[in-house]
Amino acid sequence: MLRLVANRVVSSVLSLFGASLFSFIILRLTPGDPARLFLGPFATEAAVAQLRGKLGVDDPIPLQYLAYIGDFLRGDWGFSYTTGEPVVRELMERLPATLELGLCAFAFAVCGAVPLALVAVHHHGRAADRAALAFSFFGLGVPTFWFGLMLLVLFFERLGWLPGPDGRLSLNVAPPSVTGLYTVDALLAGQWAKFLDAARHLILPAITLGMAPLGFLTRLLRANLLDIAREPFILVARSRGVSRWAALVRHALPNACLPALTAAGLLFGQLLAGSLLVERVFNWPGAGALVAEGVLRQDFSVAQAFILLSAVMYVLAMLVVDLLAGLIDPRIRHPMTLE
Amino acid sequence: MMRWVGLHRSPVLPVTLLGGLALLATIGPVIWPFDPLAMDFNAPLAAPSIAHPMGTDAAGRDVFARFIFGARLSLLVGVAVVVGGLVVGGGIGVLAGISGHALDNALMRGIDALAAFPPLVLAMSVTVGLGVGLGTATLGTMLSCVPLYARMARSDILRLRVRPFVEATVALGAGRGRILFCHLLPHTASTMLVLSASEFGYAILTIAGLGFVGLGAQVPQPEWGAMITDGLQYALTGQWWVSLFPGLGVMLCVIGANLLADQVREILDRTVDVDGVR
Repeated sequence: MLRLVANRVVSSVLSLFGASLFSFIILRLTPGDPARLFLGPFATEAAVAQLRGKLGVDDPIPLQYLAYIGDFLRGDWGFSYTTGEPVVRELMERLPATLELGLCAFAFAVCGAVPLALVAVHHHGRAADRAALAFSFFGLGVPTFWFGLMLLVLFFERLGWLPGPDGRLSLNVAPPSVTGLYTVDALLAGQWAKFLDAARHLILPAITLGMAPLGFLTRLLRANLLDIAREPFILVARSRGVSRWAALVRHALPNACLPALTAAGLLFGQLLAGSLLVERVFNWPGAGALVAEGVLRQDFSVAQAFILLSAVMYVLAMLVVDLLAGLIDPRIRHPMTLE
Repeated sequence: MMRWVGLHRSPVLPVTLLGGLALLATIGPVIWPFDPLAMDFNAPLAAPSIAHPMGTDAAGRDVFARFIFGARLSLLVGVAVVVGGLVVGGGIGVLAGISGHALDNALMRGIDALAAFPPLVLAMSVTVGLGVGLGTATLGTMLSCVPLYARMARSDILRLRVRPFVEATVALGAGRGRILFCHLLPHTASTMLVLSASEFGYAILTIAGLGFVGLGAQVPQPEWGAMITDGLQYALTGQWWVSLFPGLGVMLCVIGANLLADQVREILDRTVDVDGVR
């Protein structure tokens, strides 16, 4: 186990090093002088030159890279060119909203995918299976932001069942902040009406964001389950008199979930990237919308921080998932068949 | 019931879908000779009718004409991304696979660095760095395909290298070039074909996404993602058609590509066993 941990940690650090180099290059390539962008078009040349010196834009490149990494590790991710606020504060303010949405989308994807895959395999080759497969193709193929918009057209504009794209609450009075997740905070404060309101605002964005992961997971679980259903131990279970359904749920499913766990890193990436697109449709005040708004105003400071931050989170997620898989499955811990 | 998905055995459905869209993209401007950029302020946001089968947008531009040019753009960009990803990523993968430990390691570490980003974020970062536009968005999407191509190609080559028929060719005295081009590469073709089909769909989806957040094509350009953005503010006041049709276009393309990848894989799996025993 120790060897697996060491191996994976070293390779994660290496790829993060490469990723930081890449995002540093992006930062350098981005058109425009950061000092000029920050001070605006009316600042004097002297002020710009002074800020350039302070920002270290004229230092040698390797030195700048070191300063960039140092700043990133210290949580100093620069200032927004339009508001002048530190990027890290802006991002942190928006993070709980993204987190709440991401968690709900993830829950939606898992709760949807497991029964869908089970039903598909139980009725393998028949209409229910084909329907589940078609549904997963839909989830993977539909542009999430467009799907969200169409959901809004149907459930808000036409039917009026659910709230429109007005953020996390109807009246923007947040419940007393504990976790930053409005649903949880409202429950903790005992404000039932607020909880219901927050939950109703979550439904459509969560479904939208969860659609691609749902399609992905359904396909993956279905394929895994079909493979495992052919294994001898399932035959043994069936011959002991275990029903088809019970064999599937109790014996095949736990084994099918492990490969799905290793794919959860990819899922995390999907959610992260999806938040960039989905939050804009629903005016969800999250980190993804912050990046998208910045881009529209030609203010790339947030996007630059987001690029490296998402690489760090993505690599960490994959690392955690790999280590978890090793913890659960001894075959990964002791890879005798591999090399 | 559900017979139509029963076409699952042969790729009729995806070929029809993609072929139909490609046909529309090629001969569309002939059968529907309207300028996708021509504005008509007498008919802004007109509902779908005989004159405008998909309605008009806020500037009175015909959505159907824009849809046709959007199909053209999306399909071309998809092909460009796949070709670029295949050449660059596949090339890196093959090079890593046939070369020694040191170069292999160096190349794959570089690929790991690229794979450290979620694909959409990687594509986005290129447009942030090189300037916003359809060209850089295509380049970014291509770059985000490279890691997968490289890894698949490398693992294919590593698997093939130790197979008896390659060893036999080496024993017969064939040169490296001959082994690579006549024996190794043809055997990676099926993997690359399947991967390319699914990456084609990914490319179209990503380009639309980048266009939607304003990092890809810019608004008057008839690109599907930018068209969806264009209709965003009107969709909730009853004018749903501006956004609906380009989104449907993206969806059909991606589903077609994914289905194609799936069914081609299934067909190949049936004809060629994994170990090459026919």
